[in-house]
Amino acid sequence: MSGAEEADAVSKAEEVDAVSEPEAAELAVTGLTVRFAGLTALDDVAFTVRPGTVHAIIGPNGAGKSTCFNVLSGVYRATAGSVRLGDRELTGLKPHRIAALGVARTFQNLALSSLQSVEDTLMLGRHRLTRAGFASAGLRLPTARREDARHRDRVREIARFVGVSEYLAAPAGTLPYGVQKRVELARALAMEPRLLLLDEPVAGMNAGERRRMAEVIMAARADLGLSILLVEHDMGLVMRLADRVTVLDFGRRIACGAPADVQRDPAVVRAYLGGAHHRDEPGRDEPEGETA
Amino acid sequence: MSDRPPRPAVLASDRLPRPAVLAAVAVAAVLLAFPFYLDSFWLQTGLFAMSAAIGAIGLNLLTGATGQLSLGHAFFLAVGAYGYVYLASDGESRPGHELAGLGLPTPVAFLGAVLLAGAAGGLFSPIAGRLRGTYLGIASLALIFIGQHVLFNAEPLTGGFNGRDVPPLALPGVTFADSPELVVFNVPLGALERLWFLGLALLALAAWLARGILRGRPGRALNTIRDHEVAAAVLGVPVARYRAGVFVLSSMYAGAAGALLALVFRRTVPEYFGMFLSLDYLAMIVIGGLGTAAGAVAGAVFVTLLPQLLTRYSDGLPLVAAPGSGGVSPAEAARVLYGAAVVAVVLFLPGGLLGMWARLRAVRARRRAAPPHPGLDQKEQPA
Repeated sequence: MSGAEEADAVSKAEEVDAVSEPEAAELAVTGLTVRFAGLTALDDVAFTVRPGTVHAIIGPNGAGKSTCFNVLSGVYRATAGSVRLGDRELTGLKPHRIAALGVARTFQNLALSSLQSVEDTLMLGRHRLTRAGFASAGLRLPTARREDARHRDRVREIARFVGVSEYLAAPAGTLPYGVQKRVELARALAMEPRLLLLDEPVAGMNAGERRRMAEVIMAARADLGLSILLVEHDMGLVMRLADRVTVLDFGRRIACGAPADVQRDPAVVRAYLGGAHHRDEPGRDEPEGETA
Repeated sequence: MSDRPPRPAVLASDRLPRPAVLAAVAVAAVLLAFPFYLDSFWLQTGLFAMSAAIGAIGLNLLTGATGQLSLGHAFFLAVGAYGYVYLASDGESRPGHELAGLGLPTPVAFLGAVLLAGAAGGLFSPIAGRLRGTYLGIASLALIFIGQHVLFNAEPLTGGFNGRDVPPLALPGVTFADSPELVVFNVPLGALERLWFLGLALLALAAWLARGILRGRPGRALNTIRDHEVAAAVLGVPVARYRAGVFVLSSMYAGAAGALLALVFRRTVPEYFGMFLSLDYLAMIVIGGLGTAAGAVAGAVFVTLLPQLLTRYSDGLPLVAAPGSGGVSPAEAARVLYGAAVVAVVLFLPGGLLGMWARLRAVRARRRAAPPHPGLDQKEQPA
């Protein structure tokens, strides 16, 4: 089945779904600073993700990309600055509150329950859209059963969309790495997010797995109308997918713009090729070999 | 063959009871027949196992499914047992011997005991919601010591060292005591026989509820909190609220187990609800299998039956002496044995007794699947 057909099915189901979400909102990050004791992980970082676009954050290891994600999803607290999604301020909110606003994320290292089946894993993505509690699930009340059946149907559609439907019954931990990464993406999509944060979605994958993942991301962006913020080392993927790129180094933004412009930016080339740095910091790791 | 698709036939065969359903019915029939054949020793042992199974299901929700260690389970059993006694008995005042009681109808008292245990869990839940895994285990240890202190010293409430008599449960139509006499199929059904049916009903209800919770939305959230707390949170699970909630729920299970235990014992004794009881419960869920209701039941039966069997057959066993004769007592021998069982399970049987059962079934299914039956697949496919 072609990705386009699947995407069509998904977007149609979106329309019938009772949960009506506001349109994708703009994510505006301004003056974001995070300090851990003496270490400044993010220093006055600002960028804007316009609705429906793919925005990539790149930078050498230790540049603060993952810290940035952790702040956006509420795992870390910002020391200063603001993160706004639409008209809602996200800094200071608990992770589950941010999730409730329609922000989904995947993890750089897999964060799946290895014994849970893929279907249950995706059903967990529906958590914010469902209501069944201890009593109604324990007593198997009709409302809980109907809710379960309805969302299971939707989860199967999403699994088809991402290409993991053949693994629905398998425990997530038994699957190949590339499939687990896609299951994680499917779980994030199951949240019906407005903003999707992808932390190195193709890290450690072989060429075929990378291509499939890129296709899914492009289809998700095209058909689900969500904004995507992407951290990735694979420059080929970034150049192909991203509308805009923000480059971080040592927690500072050193460049921001369209992919082709950023690629030529002297500061970016310096940061990546390890030339003389604008800040002399001792003990800096050599950046890992990125495919430029 | 007609042109009609084979669909109706397939649906009809779906409606036939599956082997699993048949097995469940057979097991239920055997369990219901036990009181007509077993003597009181076995009935009492079985009732202890049922009570332990209910409590272990509760602990498995907390520790097995959510990864929150609790050493305070015995405390909530005590709340259930003493709560029932307090709510059900009439107050008593003799010189130097005062006992408080509300004298509520006993079914209300039983329900009240469960709610009371839940409320006690709720009082602890600000701590239970914030602490993770082993840290909660250490904090909950405090509950044991507080509990023991209160049980021994709040004499008007608990009867102190001597404990209190437990008023028998009286449902409309049946009282769970030896009198008035009740004879069914020429078998006199005394208190234990009647409690057997009550215990089975409570256990079935407890297991059914836990299964629904574990397989539903809350269970998925709890399992993910155990496996990856951060992932659970960013997926929209309010982690602290779920931890607190499951703690209250597990306390209520312990309360029900404690109240049932009190009904079987017919007397509550404070030293029973100590540290060792909490450890017994942890042993049950580890041996039986973490995270499922069936695992908790299997472990509870194993851990409860072992000391009773050793006591019963201590004459015939080497190294085990009769209680009080100086050698290794059956209770001690049982502790050593299931200590060894815990080690063996952790090393060789991940998933516990239940995991072993699942593995045996998988092996059998593979053997059965080995000779391929061409054509069968096609026939079974609905058009």
